[in-house]
Amino acid sequence: MATKLSRDVYVIGVGMHRFNNERLDPTAMADVAGMRALEDAGIDFDDVGALYNGYLGGGMASGVRVAKEFGMTGIPVTHVENASATGSCAFGEAVHAVAGGRVDSAMALGFDDMNQLGGIGRSRGKSIGAEDVMLPAAFFAMWATRRMHDAGTTVETFAKIAAKNWNHARSNPMAQRQADHEITPDEVLSSTLISYPHTSMMACASGGGAAAAIVATKEVAERIAGGRPMIRVSASQQRSETYTDGHVFLGAVIGPAQMTRDTAADAYEEAGIGPADIDLIQVHDAFPVEELVYYELLGICGEGEGDGLVADGETSLGGRIPFSTDGGLTARGHPGGPTGLAQIHETTMQLRHEAGVRQVEGARTGLCHMAGAGSVCVVHILQRTT
Amino acid sequence: MTSTTVPTDPKLFRLAEGDETRPHLLGSYAPESGLSFWPRRYRCPVTHTPVTDVDLSPEGVLYAWTFLHVPRMGNISFGDSGGYGVGQIDLPEGVRIQAPLLGTTDDWKIGTKMGLTTFPVGEDADGNELVTFRFEAVR
Repeated sequence: MATKLSRDVYVIGVGMHRFNNERLDPTAMADVAGMRALEDAGIDFDDVGALYNGYLGGGMASGVRVAKEFGMTGIPVTHVENASATGSCAFGEAVHAVAGGRVDSAMALGFDDMNQLGGIGRSRGKSIGAEDVMLPAAFFAMWATRRMHDAGTTVETFAKIAAKNWNHARSNPMAQRQADHEITPDEVLSSTLISYPHTSMMACASGGGAAAAIVATKEVAERIAGGRPMIRVSASQQRSETYTDGHVFLGAVIGPAQMTRDTAADAYEEAGIGPADIDLIQVHDAFPVEELVYYELLGICGEGEGDGLVADGETSLGGRIPFSTDGGLTARGHPGGPTGLAQIHETTMQLRHEAGVRQVEGARTGLCHMAGAGSVCVVHILQRTT
Repeated sequence: MTSTTVPTDPKLFRLAEGDETRPHLLGSYAPESGLSFWPRRYRCPVTHTPVTDVDLSPEGVLYAWTFLHVPRMGNISFGDSGGYGVGQIDLPEGVRIQAPLLGTTDDWKIGTKMGLTTFPVGEDADGNELVTFRFEAVR
């Protein structure tokens, strides 16, 4: 099912506003992220052919209002929304707009504040019904209890994954959670129990923020590179769910795990590479059980072998295949719209070898995975070509 | 006026009738694929062929569960209620249901036999008792 981009597309600029819990104006943060991406690319908004805005809240036409601050150039401005995968889908739309020849360059911009979104998971007192169980905290906790039953996974493994991501974020200036000390698994386990076996320090940081990425043709990328490493989008794949045994139709936050396996297979096929060729990975780690199962679904290890990767530190910075190098949803944060674009930001910085103390040595290929309610799964593979 | 019991969502479940001891979830069956679904559907998602309305079995087996203390990534508390249990229950028809649970964490183990029951959630404007559905361990 893998489709291929009909012409090469490159990431030429990235920018972020720090993810935070300060209830800032999402459109103001969007402006910061977008301007930083333009500055990073070394271009003006006049050079951007289309803008794809990703946001869950903010109201109708927020994206157009944001665009007018950058400049009233008359380009097409489009709102993209696909739950947690919104930013990833906005990026995908920008990539395909360039690949398909609609424009030579496009910006994807995500902005949101999960704290300012209404309705999600709010207690309704005594009228709790089936619709109220559609809470990520409950849904992924059931993934966890089933995983513990099937594979013997322990709560300590979940705590180690969360602690790893908290510690990755300590050196990320764009992260929402920046601990002033090394986080231990014991500290994660001793935080508030929110939904057995998950504690509050295992839950993703849901706050605000903004992130942007600009993509362009090879010709544009080469013209502005100025000796800087070029980062090619080697795969851009998106799927919704297919029917599987034990399918949950009502109350499922995301679709079956198979969706990630299928989308990743498409991406590997498109890029012409395999899991062994990947140097670093960002995933939808809303809770650590997700990151654990994605080790296996993305083909980094065999079925049931993910726990061993954690025990051996292979998915930590310095390990064989680092995951969530910027702290992931756990600690970098998950504002909604910008989350997937933060993954592109981090991966681009890593592949340019501009990630500072978080740098994965010699990184040349990175994979970004996001899942969204609905169900949506998006996988992008970026590669350093120079 | 006599008060009666009313389901919160009559598209999802019905109350026990006659000598039945449990309510039933309202599902669909696709003859061509042999698959059953809940909630009801317009057509089979696999074969795209018509489905028929069926009442699903009121008992199944617990596939996974949790107890939700603090929803919304830890930002909101249930307060005095302490939270509630949630489970996924596999029915004999091959349908997996995600629903709230009645009981305590000691009642639930993967593989536990579970039965559908009702749970009062208030009254409607006519004074009728509104009930939603939950699953409980079968003793």
